Amino acid sequence: MTSQTLVDTLALARLSNRIRFHATNMVAIQGFGYLGQAMSAAEIFATIFGNNRFKLGYDRFVLSPGHYVIVFYAVAAELGWIKKEELLSYGADGSLLEAISTERTPLIDLNCGSLGQGLSGGIGLALVAREENKNRHTYVFLSDGEMEEGQIWEAAMFAGHHQVGNLTVLLDANNSQVDGSIDFVTTIEPLAAKWSSFGWQVAEVNGHDIAELTKAMNLAKDNQPLIIIARTKIAGHMRAIPDSVDVHFIKLEPEITSGILSQLEEEYV
Amino acid sequence: MFDSPYEIALKPYGMALLELAKKNPNVFCLGADLTRQTETDIIRDELPNRFINVGMAEANMIGIAGGMARAGKIVFVNSFGVFTTRRCYDQIAMAVAYPNLNVKIVGFMPGISSPGGPSHQAIDDMALMRALPNMTVVDLADNEEITQAVAAVAEHQGPVYMRLKRGEIPIIFDKDHKFSLRSAHHLIQGSDGCIISSGMMVPAAISAVKTLSDAGLKLSLVNCPVVKPIDIETILSAIGTKNFVITVENHSIIGGLGSAVAEAMTDKGVGVPLIRLGLQDTFAESGSREFLFEKYQLGVQKLIDSAWDKSGLKGEAPRAPLQQIISGKYAPV
Repeated sequence: MTSQTLVDTLALARLSNRIRFHATNMVAIQGFGYLGQAMSAAEIFATIFGNNRFKLGYDRFVLSPGHYVIVFYAVAAELGWIKKEELLSYGADGSLLEAISTERTPLIDLNCGSLGQGLSGGIGLALVAREENKNRHTYVFLSDGEMEEGQIWEAAMFAGHHQVGNLTVLLDANNSQVDGSIDFVTTIEPLAAKWSSFGWQVAEVNGHDIAELTKAMNLAKDNQPLIIIARTKIAGHMRAIPDSVDVHFIKLEPEITSGILSQLEEEYV
Repeated sequence: MFDSPYEIALKPYGMALLELAKKNPNVFCLGADLTRQTETDIIRDELPNRFINVGMAEANMIGIAGGMARAGKIVFVNSFGVFTTRRCYDQIAMAVAYPNLNVKIVGFMPGISSPGGPSHQAIDDMALMRALPNMTVVDLADNEEITQAVAAVAEHQGPVYMRLKRGEIPIIFDKDHKFSLRSAHHLIQGSDGCIISSGMMVPAAISAVKTLSDAGLKLSLVNCPVVKPIDIETILSAIGTKNFVITVENHSIIGGLGSAVAEAMTDKGVGVPLIRLGLQDTFAESGSREFLFEKYQLGVQKLIDSAWDKSGLKGEAPRAPLQQIISGKYAPV
């Protein structure tokens, strides 16, 4: 690793820390919300947006699971795209920062709340970029629970067959869905073999390791779609979040909030 | 307006789409493994870069169309009406209707024009599409309407659902007929009652009105190709103070043209008896067009009988003219 890469990695680690910090404060206001999503996907969002790879207003970002939008608000505030004070309105009546993203949501090119739909839309955006000979990249964020929706595989088959390039899927594989762990509900594995057999380039990484995520994102090609299967933990590494709570939609007791915040302060370097 | 049996035009939708795409480089066409059946082989063969076969994956097709429209394209998606509406309803709602995008959804083989039974018969497609905010719903009758509608829906900003028969299309209207996304047409004036029809039922309604007129019952006839937003003004002016209204549609009586007319009348406090002809809240079955339209009471004779009963005139209702099947011509069912 070069020293420049080390600096970048450190910066993105800091950004991930701040994403978790903002998300915790946002959820703490109402006392419940989608905090686990920020804990599991902080490094993924930091890597997409935090290193000048993503050109806002040119490249495309598709958020398939709309309830992950809290992670986007946090990273956008940290990058100066939205005001930090605005984060306090998260989920409030009339706020632009809705808890599940919509057509009103700022800056994101395509939002879905009904799960399993984002990849198809992302392919539409990527096809137009290809047709117009633009080198703009389309990033589609997916969650692993969405692998249970049939439309995902319709879209995967299409993108593989049509060699849709400049298309990167970031899959938060945190093994969590509303009714419990995914492998308890059904079997979606082996994910890497499935996507590979559909004609995709596949990278499987530790989703909390910024160096691994960055390396995987550099694999993108212009004639083959890329999926990065980011293995994550929905509680991240937060000691204050007990195993017993439902992290998908967490009820945030004050002592858990303070536990998370002090661990994040401790780790901020 | 011409007389039946009508001359036939071949594949007017496919031809019009090709013409449109030649003029407008932003027009794209998506299909789901029914290319010839949706007349899109015409654009595929001539402008292959503007045609994408998504395969049998309608949900994905709608999602891709939404993405392309978001990036500035006008996207026509094509399949049979059952598959472009019922099969992918949430996708249409979220990826097309809610963001109000330029996706034009085309559904072929409306109602019981398909011999394929309930799996292939779009009897609720207008109801489903009409319920979606931002969606315009069009049910087309003839060659001139189809040809003009393709250009009109492309020009319209926002999603449209367009249902039409495929292949051999009757030429009912002459070149002076003007299709507009805002207008119904008061085709025939009469004082005793009013028939309102759309799509495939228009030739049947014309035949019924003529037969009844010869028997002394004078009805108004409205052609209502745009079921949403419905042209309330033309419809209510045609209904006026007449004794009864009959709507007739190749669709369930729930949620389509009959419902739209009923809602318009209720909203304006028009208290005229209304008979809604169409599928009476039932699925149909496989069979020939003649058999199905007879069994599910959608033909010319049913229209004549309904109007005659309502008129209070004595004696037997007149008989629908016997339709000779002439090769290369179109006769109403």
